Amino acid sequence: MGTVPHMRKYFAIARASFEVVFVYRAGFALNMFGTVLYVVAMFYLWQTIFLGKAGALGAFSWPQMKAYLLVAFLTNSLMTWFDEGDMGRDIRMGRIATDLTRPIDFQAKRFADAIGPLPVELSSALLVGAVVVFAFGGIAAPPDPVHAALFVVSTALATLLKFAIVYCVSMTAFWTTGMVGIRVGRTAIQNLLSGAMIPLAFFPDWLRSVAAVLPFQGLVSTPALTYLGQMDGPTTALMIGVQAVWAVALLFAGRALWRRAIKAVTIHGG
Amino acid sequence: MAARLRSLRRGIYLYFRLLGQEMKSILAYRADFIVLLIAAVLVQLVGLAFIGIIFTRIPNIQGWTFWQVVMMYSLIFITEGVGSLFFEGTWWLSWLIYSGEFDQVMVRPVSPMVQVLASKVGFNGLGNIVTGSLLLVVSLTHVSVNWTPVGLLMVLILLVSGATIRVALNLGTAALSFWIKSPHSNVPMFVHQLGEFGKYPITIYSVGVQAVIVLVIPFAFVSFYPTAYVFDQANWALAGLLTPLVAIYCLVMAATLFRRGMRRYESSGN
Repeated sequence: MGTVPHMRKYFAIARASFEVVFVYRAGFALNMFGTVLYVVAMFYLWQTIFLGKAGALGAFSWPQMKAYLLVAFLTNSLMTWFDEGDMGRDIRMGRIATDLTRPIDFQAKRFADAIGPLPVELSSALLVGAVVVFAFGGIAAPPDPVHAALFVVSTALATLLKFAIVYCVSMTAFWTTGMVGIRVGRTAIQNLLSGAMIPLAFFPDWLRSVAAVLPFQGLVSTPALTYLGQMDGPTTALMIGVQAVWAVALLFAGRALWRRAIKAVTIHGG
Repeated sequence: MAARLRSLRRGIYLYFRLLGQEMKSILAYRADFIVLLIAAVLVQLVGLAFIGIIFTRIPNIQGWTFWQVVMMYSLIFITEGVGSLFFEGTWWLSWLIYSGEFDQVMVRPVSPMVQVLASKVGFNGLGNIVTGSLLLVVSLTHVSVNWTPVGLLMVLILLVSGATIRVALNLGTAALSFWIKSPHSNVPMFVHQLGEFGKYPITIYSVGVQAVIVLVIPFAFVSFYPTAYVFDQANWALAGLLTPLVAIYCLVMAATLFRRGMRRYESSGN
């Protein structure tokens, strides 16, 4: 019964955060520019590797590798507005106290904040992707409409999963003020183990086993391999299921961490 | 001449005194400092893992070997570390100018440039320098050359030149804030991010990109040319010998921009 006005509340938060992107458009553009330069450097590097190889590397042809890199770029561009720094600032400046007095769910509010800029992130990523495709020639398409649809589902789950991971990690803000280091460290690990830098199939066996038991592969590898149709039907379903399970599990873990953290705050606040 | 030398010595002395004070204030937050250090090391390890995995699949990139690319990486990381640890202050210049705090800098009887450079310390730089140096040393052991004192001195000169180029680029682009009056000028960050292209042999890029990183924003002289020179002196002698000259040129340009800009400075007033 009460869900509709609730939804409206969080929608308002998301809209406000959407508008904030336009206020800080220079910062947003700069963020984007950094990722674009990275992608362009990667394209040159892989282009050289594939041209030297004259054909395929493992299961990848050059058009497929281009598609892989662009999917990695797309999923990395989504849900970037919210990071550990926000939580750190809010705690340091005491804004967390205001949030506690409000009749809203803390995690849901953070999610609304994080998802607000999504339309801007998505459209600018697609625009950049189009330019890169134009500059480097065509990319592989999904093998059929089913895989295209599953790719959309998987990308949505990847976005939710990224929120869940960052939310959990940002809870460390209650115990340390070094949030820049925490974010940089998380991003480094994530970039490698999600397959954003290099497909997991190229990893040595031991590192691939490490990546397989961690949630990060759901951020890039699963959507990208779904797009390319490189996994058979059951495997695709299984991997998307794994994404969903990780997302839900980490969302609940985040809630548990928050409850613990809040107790710490009460104790310190007296 | 003697007076000039004395003022230079005083400038250097004061620079280290100011930097030392700033370091103490950071070391007060020991946990933050450790988290930052670990994060910086993680970023490098991930970068190394990335090229390591690539080279398990291919023997070389257009003739460039694993250890050559490692050396390019290490030079980018070390010079970045030097920039953060000793010259982080350049990133604050735009804020000093915008807020009018540059007034304080102007009235003190110490060189404004020394004050700006010593105004901040980025401790993550220490992690970059330490691991970067280790990688550099290991990659140097893979050069098939009998090391002579002169050869080692040349490596040192190239390293110092590379660091000088990066610091000069930071300072010069930051000095543009005297003209662009905005609280956070994005130009320094844009230029800084181009360093991504310095991690790989420039021969993989198109002519346009090469022209930019050789002639406009000379990142090629930070990593690629020094590496090429050290590994193959016969063919890259000119590139290696040009590197110190490029460094001097960048430094003079940056200092000129800074001085010109300072003359234009009018306080934002109170």
